[in-house]
Amino acid sequence: MAFTLYSLLQAALLCVNAIAVLHEERFHKNLAGGADQGIGGFREEPGIKSQLMNLIRSVGTVMRVPLIIINSIAIVLLLLFG
Amino acid sequence: MHPAGLAVAGTPRQPSKRRTPVSQPGMADPHQLFDDTSSAQSRGYGAQQAPGGLGYPAPSASPQAAFLADPVSNMAMAYGSSLAAQGKELVDKNIDRFIPVTKLKYYFAVDTMYVGKKLGLLFFPYLHQDWEVQYQQDTPVAPRFDINAPDLYIPAMAFITYVLVAGLALGTQDRFSPDLLGLQASSALAWLTLEVLAILLSLYLVTVNTDLTTIDLVAFLGYKYVGMIGGVLMGLLFGKIGYYLVLGWCCVSIFVFMIRTLRLKILAEAAAEGVPVRGARNQLRMYLTMAVAAAQPLLMYWLTFHLVR
Repeated sequence: MAFTLYSLLQAALLCVNAIAVLHEERFHKNLAGGADQGIGGFREEPGIKSQLMNLIRSVGTVMRVPLIIINSIAIVLLLLFG
Repeated sequence: MHPAGLAVAGTPRQPSKRRTPVSQPGMADPHQLFDDTSSAQSRGYGAQQAPGGLGYPAPSASPQAAFLADPVSNMAMAYGSSLAAQGKELVDKNIDRFIPVTKLKYYFAVDTMYVGKKLGLLFFPYLHQDWEVQYQQDTPVAPRFDINAPDLYIPAMAFITYVLVAGLALGTQDRFSPDLLGLQASSALAWLTLEVLAILLSLYLVTVNTDLTTIDLVAFLGYKYVGMIGGVLMGLLFGKIGYYLVLGWCCVSIFVFMIRTLRLKILAEAAAEGVPVRGARNQLRMYLTMAVAAAQPLLMYWLTFHLVR
C-alpha cells in the first residue's frame, strides 16, 4: 500500500482546489436550504445541508489566497522535478 | 573523575522521575501531573556540575585546561553560553504557540499501574462498569488517577512498536528493506490523519457539542495499534489461524471499547442537557458513533493483513 503522507497532502490540495472552484449560485438552485437565505429560524440544529454550505463557503473564502501561493509552488516543483 | 561523577549523577535522574509516582499511593495532589523531584536531585547534580563550569564536561587533560585558561577563549565561552541561554529563553517562551506543550503533558502523566490496567481494558472491556471520566473542578483528572481518561503514551508506544513488528514480520518473510519501515510508518500515520479529519468533519456537520478535543480523538484512535500488534505477533508465532483468532478478538474488543467510550462523549450531551431530543438527531449521533467504532476493525485488518502470510 503506497498510501503515504505525501499522497495525503496531494489529495488534500486537490480537494481544497475543488472546493474553491465550486460555483455557489448553481448550488443554491439544487439545495433548498441555501446558506444565503440564512438558517431557518432559531432551530436547535442548523441541519447538515446548511452546515455543509457554510463550510464550503468559508473554506473557499479563507483558502483563496493561500491556494494561489500553494498552487504556484506545486506547479513550479512539478515542472522541475516531475 | 569529574565526567564519571557527572555521568553517575545524571543517569539515575531519569528513571526515578517515573518510579516515584508508583511508590506514592493515592492522590497526593491531582493538580500536579508529575511529582516534583527537582529539589532532591538538583542539589547533588549542581554540586557535581560546579567544578565542571558552564555545564561542559570538565577537561581532565592539561592541553584543554591550558586552552580554557586563555582569557580570550574564556570570554568567547562566556559569550557563547549567554547566547545559548537567551536562545533557550526565547524557545521556552514561544514553544507554547506552536505545540501545546502544557496540554500534551497531561496526556503523558501515566504510571505503570495505569498502563497495565488500560491494556487489560483494551483487550477485555466487557466487565468494566463505570466509563465516566472523573473531573477535578472542571478539569479532567490526570490519567494516572483515572483509568477512563485518554492518554497519548499507549498510542505513541503502540505505533512505534507496530512499525517495528511490521519490520520483523517482513523480515521473517525475506521481504524486508529499510525503506519499507518508513513506508509502513507513513502509511499508518496517513490513515490516522485521514480518520481524524473525517471524524472532525462529521462531528462538525452533525453539530455535536462535545468536549472531545482533537488530541483526545487521536488518543482514542491510537488504541487500535495495540490490537494490531497482538494480531501480528500471534500471526508470526502460529500462522494465519492464530492471526485471525487474535485479530478477531481484538477487533470485537476495540469495537465495544470505542462504543462505550464515545457514547459518553458524543451522545451524553444530548441527554444531559435535558432538552427533549428529537429522535432523528439522536439517531444520527448513534450512527456516527457506530461508524467510528466500525471503522476501527476495518483499519486494523487493512493495516496488518499484508504482513501475515
